Amino acid sequence: MTTKPATRPDTYAIAWRLPLIVWQGLFFVGPLLFMVAMSFFLVKNYRMEAAFQFSNWSRMLSKGFFWDAYFFTLWLAVLATIITSVVAFPASYFLAFKTSDRVRRWAIFFLIIPFFTSYLVRVFAWQVILAQQGVINAGLSYLGLGPWQMLNTQFGTLVGYLVLCLPLAVILQTFSLANIDKRLVEAAHNLGCGRMRTVFTVVVPLAKTGLVVAAVFCFILSFGDFVSPYYLGGSKPPTLSIMIVDTSKSGQQWPRAAVVAIMMIVTLLVVAFTAIGFAYRKRGK
Amino acid sequence: MKDDLLLRWVLRVYTALVFLFVFAPIAASLVFSFNSDRFPTIPLGSFTTEWYVKAFSNPEVWDAALRSLIVSAVTAVISTAIGFSAAYTDYRYEFFGKKAFLVLALLPPTIPLIILALAMLGWLSMFNASGMTLSIIIAHTVLCAPFAMAVIRLRLNQMDPNLEPAAWNLGASEWVTMKSVVVPFTLPSIIASLCLTAAVSFDEFAVAWFVSGLNKTVPVVILEILTGNIDPQVNAIGTAVFLVSITLVVIAQVLVLGSARKPENA
Amino acid sequence: MAEPLVVFDNVVKRFGTFEAVKRMNFEIRQGEFLAFMGPSGCGKTTTLRMLAGLEQPTEGDIRLDGKSLVDVKPHERDTPMVWQSLALFPFLNARENVEFGLKMRGVDKPKRRQKALEWLERLGIGEFAERDVSALSGGQRQRVALARSLVTEPRILLLDEPLSALDAHLVIRMQGVLTKLQRELGITFVYVTHSQSEAFAMADRVVIMSKGEIAQIGSARDIYRTPASRFVAEFVGRNNIFSGTVNAAGSVETAAGTFTLDGLAKPGEKVSFVVAADVVSLSATRPTAPNTFSAQLISEEFVGSMVTLFFEAPGGTEVKVQVQERMLEGIPRRPGQTLYLSFDASHAHVLKG
Repeated sequence: MTTKPATRPDTYAIAWRLPLIVWQGLFFVGPLLFMVAMSFFLVKNYRMEAAFQFSNWSRMLSKGFFWDAYFFTLWLAVLATIITSVVAFPASYFLAFKTSDRVRRWAIFFLIIPFFTSYLVRVFAWQVILAQQGVINAGLSYLGLGPWQMLNTQFGTLVGYLVLCLPLAVILQTFSLANIDKRLVEAAHNLGCGRMRTVFTVVVPLAKTGLVVAAVFCFILSFGDFVSPYYLGGSKPPTLSIMIVDTSKSGQQWPRAAVVAIMMIVTLLVVAFTAIGFAYRKRGK
Repeated sequence: MKDDLLLRWVLRVYTALVFLFVFAPIAASLVFSFNSDRFPTIPLGSFTTEWYVKAFSNPEVWDAALRSLIVSAVTAVISTAIGFSAAYTDYRYEFFGKKAFLVLALLPPTIPLIILALAMLGWLSMFNASGMTLSIIIAHTVLCAPFAMAVIRLRLNQMDPNLEPAAWNLGASEWVTMKSVVVPFTLPSIIASLCLTAAVSFDEFAVAWFVSGLNKTVPVVILEILTGNIDPQVNAIGTAVFLVSITLVVIAQVLVLGSARKPENA
Repeated sequence: MAEPLVVFDNVVKRFGTFEAVKRMNFEIRQGEFLAFMGPSGCGKTTTLRMLAGLEQPTEGDIRLDGKSLVDVKPHERDTPMVWQSLALFPFLNARENVEFGLKMRGVDKPKRRQKALEWLERLGIGEFAERDVSALSGGQRQRVALARSLVTEPRILLLDEPLSALDAHLVIRMQGVLTKLQRELGITFVYVTHSQSEAFAMADRVVIMSKGEIAQIGSARDIYRTPASRFVAEFVGRNNIFSGTVNAAGSVETAAGTFTLDGLAKPGEKVSFVVAADVVSLSATRPTAPNTFSAQLISEEFVGSMVTLFFEAPGGTEVKVQVQERMLEGIPRRPGQTLYLSFDASHAHVLKG
């Protein structure tokens, strides 16, 4: 493109570069950095004061309830990731290999809709569906089966996570599966590799990067989600996100909520980097 | 081969079930909103529009709806503008720190909303700027700008790299070129971005809840209605919300796909 | 002679440490059709872009009409360009595309509409004026691009490989259009191409470039008949290059044979000379003419009415002979066949360097 004489400042380029930097700096980076600082503040008489104390940290990290919530959230997120990835896979496989381009495009078109629309309202609808007197239990009673407790359980939360992550997982998995070199799959079949075996030994490794990225997104979304554990899971035991809400809404203990938030971010970064590293690692052959 | 046919059908049914799972709550919300039963179950009760009447005669709901609309509209405009500037910068320029610039632009959706909400609450409170409609707009823009940037950047990929130089070559300065060439070319994606960011903002709940204080948007109102008992009004409101966001997302997709299919991009 | 329109004065262009253009000095004359030709990466497009203002010279000066262009931004210059990708504005129809340059100059609506339509008519696509450019064929779009650049009546037009995306039959037709247009308008055309046939067919002068330097400037005939260097000789056309040493008798001893040329230098000197493929004579029996040698036929290539025959002469020298097909009647041409080739000393051109 154009190179300009180095003497004059390029006002045009700067004008286009600044808005993002200023806005995100002020309203994204600033708040996050402030949150880190906030974790060292103190709360006296329901008012927050600037300070540099480790008391919030020592208090939160020494409490059993924090670590209970931490591992519970981690456990649920891992479970959600595995379940979502597995549930999504056959559908993604179908869309990637067994349908025409046109059908695939329409499928993605439809999946993008829930991805961008009202997760909250969908969770509420599931709350109604899963209720003791809800649709599913009513159907079960026709079959003579007892009412199942689905709300206020881990099952409820997981259903919610599935609602959250499934569309995105299917979209990402379909993309990565559709983009592998089909000739390699044909070659495997030619050499007598059975269909199922081909899937696990050829297709999955080839699409590894995309599949891992899809899983990482599932993990990030479910690890940080507040809505599902709150409305479908009953909040007991609480997840880290619920802990943040509780700590900050009642008692205004923003500094302690900040500690929880930072622990969450660190965990997410570690998981994301490890997973992406694994996804992009070249095969040893 | 028979095996292949069987497999295909199994997968087809499975995929249909997945779609059913994804769209069930939307359909359920629609059905229950017209259902007379307080606790929707099978068999369904009688058809009624009382929940819609109840919900929409509630001034709080209208208040929140108006605020949601204002917030989404303003957020859409600001985040599209910021997204456009980021997309154009990425398209045209190489510079020191570009990688950091892109990370800054695309990172927000990867941070859990609840954390963003807390951080913004603290930060804006420092400046006594929380609890206002403006606070929600600011927070939503941070969240939505990456989507705007992605949509517009995709469109810029389709632009002939010689198109701007051609305009300069014919006597248009850089600013005039932006106005006469780049914007007309990217217009479908700009509109798509406006629709998409409006949809995201309209639905976004967690941040709004934290940051809005008493100035509630629709999702927050839904929450509050529910924090008492199960109230079918929620279905009515929810269905209305779905309609708005689905329309916006569909328009956005049609625009993006439509321009991708034009012969000039073949 | 009139003042040159454009002067490149010691122009150097570096991208980081890479020298795309090394110390170029040349002039572009008013009203001439100048073609830049060379292999990929030779710097021809960079040179054109510097003239348009899309790149700035790292050193040196470019002057248009005596005035330096170095600080003049692209949109302040009057150097319209026809792009390789055409770069038509997809959201405007044909007429609006052509009007663009006039609009930028503030020409009022009715006037620029009239001028745009005139130019579209002149280029034979007047009926497509209101069509979207995406609905036009390759050749029609090409003409819109031309009209768009010429509507402002510039003194110089830049063309960056404009025909490279066209089908072969369209290329020939467009070459005719361009040549005719240039003569009628009398403006300067600066044309960049990697195709020798395009350059030689249309240009008054050709600039051969290689690795950022000018290898030779001259008319097509001059370059073809008297290439300035081995590179030019090899790059351009069907040429045969012989290398050898001058012997005591003043003839050149090469692997293919001993040849007598005009005005040869001192004995012991190493010399290379060029003999064009179309001046080599062919016969089945050894002729009595001087400068005759034998060679083995490898293969033939038939293009239209001309045939190119590829030979291997003693010492592995590759020799090409280009003749009209009818001249080959009666000459046996099996692969491996030994035939006799000869040329006239006056048709041999000694290379410098």
